[in-house]
Amino acid sequence: MIYLLEDTINGILMGSIYGLTALGLTIIFGVLKVINFAHGSLLMVGMYVAFWAATLSGMNPYVALIVVVPIMYAFGYLLQNTLIKPIFKAEKQVREPITVIIVTTGVWYILDNLCLLIFGPQYRALQNNPLRGKMLEIGGMMLSVPKLWGFVAAMITAGAVYWFFQKTRMGRAIRATSLDREAASLMGINQYKVYNMAFGIGTATAGIAGVALIPFFNVYPSVGVLFDMKGYIIVVLGGLGSIWGAMLGGIIIGLIESVCPQFMTATWTEAIVYALFLAVLFIKPSGLFGVKYDW
Amino acid sequence: MKGKQVWWRKVAAVAMALGLVAMLGIVSPVGAAETVVKVGNIEPLSSPSASVGEQGKNARNMAVEEINAAGGIKSLGGAKLEMIYADSESKPEKGVAEAERLINTEKVNVLTGCWNSAVTYPTSAVAERYGIPFIVPVSVADKITEQGFKNVFRIAAKDSWWTRDQFTFLQDMEKEFGAKVETVAFVYENGDWGKGFAEQWKKLAETAGYKVVLDEPYPSTATDFSPVVNKIKRANPDVLMMVSNAADAILLTNTLAEYKVKPKAIITSGGGHADPSFLKAVGKNARYLFDIVEWETDVNKPGAKDINTKFKTKYGYNLAGESVDAYIAMYVLKDALERAGSLDPKAIREALAATNLSTGPAMIASYDVIAFDATGQNKFAALAIVQVNDLGTGLERITVWPKNARRAGYTPVFPMPKD
Repeated sequence: MIYLLEDTINGILMGSIYGLTALGLTIIFGVLKVINFAHGSLLMVGMYVAFWAATLSGMNPYVALIVVVPIMYAFGYLLQNTLIKPIFKAEKQVREPITVIIVTTGVWYILDNLCLLIFGPQYRALQNNPLRGKMLEIGGMMLSVPKLWGFVAAMITAGAVYWFFQKTRMGRAIRATSLDREAASLMGINQYKVYNMAFGIGTATAGIAGVALIPFFNVYPSVGVLFDMKGYIIVVLGGLGSIWGAMLGGIIIGLIESVCPQFMTATWTEAIVYALFLAVLFIKPSGLFGVKYDW
Repeated sequence: MKGKQVWWRKVAAVAMALGLVAMLGIVSPVGAAETVVKVGNIEPLSSPSASVGEQGKNARNMAVEEINAAGGIKSLGGAKLEMIYADSESKPEKGVAEAERLINTEKVNVLTGCWNSAVTYPTSAVAERYGIPFIVPVSVADKITEQGFKNVFRIAAKDSWWTRDQFTFLQDMEKEFGAKVETVAFVYENGDWGKGFAEQWKKLAETAGYKVVLDEPYPSTATDFSPVVNKIKRANPDVLMMVSNAADAILLTNTLAEYKVKPKAIITSGGGHADPSFLKAVGKNARYLFDIVEWETDVNKPGAKDINTKFKTKYGYNLAGESVDAYIAMYVLKDALERAGSLDPKAIREALAATNLSTGPAMIASYDVIAFDATGQNKFAALAIVQVNDLGTGLERITVWPKNARRAGYTPVFPMPKD
């Protein structure tokens, strides 16, 4: 019984971090209506930025957020502004520009290989940070402290993004653009600036996810691929474009990965995750939190 | 007119060159009074395996230089070894074609190679057809020596011996330290490699009378190892055996330490646990871990240190399993040639089959005698086990098994301390 509780809590903690890694994907899709294939690479860049910020300054990785968030926001903003915007402009008449998907795939390859060139294939892990290897022991249960921090970071980030989109003027403008970019333009919203901002916010959340991961995860150039597939499944599960859907989708995956291995081998959990993914696509293609038709 | 003149000049030059070569050809055997033993070597000198191919080439060259400088093969009147290299590009068809060329055109007396098991396998059939002895330093696939061939001689331990030696090591540790091991857990990546190991482990555990309390294949792409580690913790095995790739080896080792999982021993299978960045990424969490290897630089055998130092100054890196086997192969060949006293492939084959080498530089191996069984497998070839420990100069890999190869003055830590 205590084992089940321990596994459930671990599943929720790890799952919320999965949700955080997928948050940027869902934000970018919600606004730009394109799947960003480079999202795993953005997460990888976020991990490297967080890793070097924490290593070089010796700060607690969470203090490094002061550096990581602005850098990643600027990185995403510029990436969208210089690489993706021109394609949007060229394909003005198309509602879901396929070319952008191809461009993001190119960005993925370039970023991964650039990091391979610069940092080499080595696996790096944050040494001597206050969170590394810390465990909380409560009545025979062991819980990872860095994952607990990750859970808190994920919830605060999701809440903050949600609040920003719902309550601020800029957030409303972003939502208006995501609903109907032509109408929004007619209302005087600069649609390309909104895209830049959405991409920047999405990339910044990938940076926060990087900070949450580095106290207990390795950094290497192809690390994004591990979270990529999971990210797509989470986002489809929760509903493309939905913030809380992504968090819930992440927690569902986390629970499957954590609880199921106690009844079968860990290899099976992957099969279960993909089976669930297919089932959702068959039964409720818009996802758990998704809206059936978007306009 | 002018074109014609040039043409004639070329013909004349070629003819003269040919004449010169022919004269040299006639003169040299008489003048030098030296026989040479032609050794054909097929290695992956280009392709992604080029770095190991080069290690094999360098190790062979160093051994041959030593042999030639020491007077060559005495029973053949001081015959020198002449090395001829061919590039397999890691391609089976290229290996076969090069073997044909080396045998028919270069008239080699002996063949060695080819590192990639996939190349060695078909190439060994060519050597067998022509009756040319074929020394295989390192291609580990079991099937290479299981074809009923008479001319294949393998130096390295074969695949199935890795798992065998892990269990022999465990039983030796039990005896040496008087600690009883009853339960084992197998945790491995769910690819061909991990599953192959686990299958053999299960058989070996049954024979040895260990109870398998956990048999857990996991996906190498997993991002959270807490569930697997929790399973290990709850199964509470005496010994944990693992096969892992690089990223998962690091995560598993860290997670095991976080959850304070301390079995009596953790035995790993190279791969990720032998990756150069592994120790750096896990730090002290890897302490007391046992890993199986072909050869380690600290092996306690006479001359090993000097030979490694010589190799390192010459080529810039340490000897490793592959290069040691290539180096040994040349001394095995020298020993056989001395006893054969002939360049006839049949005589060399017979001498190789009767090899019983226990002296000389070939003894940098972790075992004490080199002799081949009826299939041509070096029957004493063994692997070594290293323990990761910090003796005050940072974490290092220390050879602990077999006992006669153990680093002088080191006592392995077994069982692992609980604190």
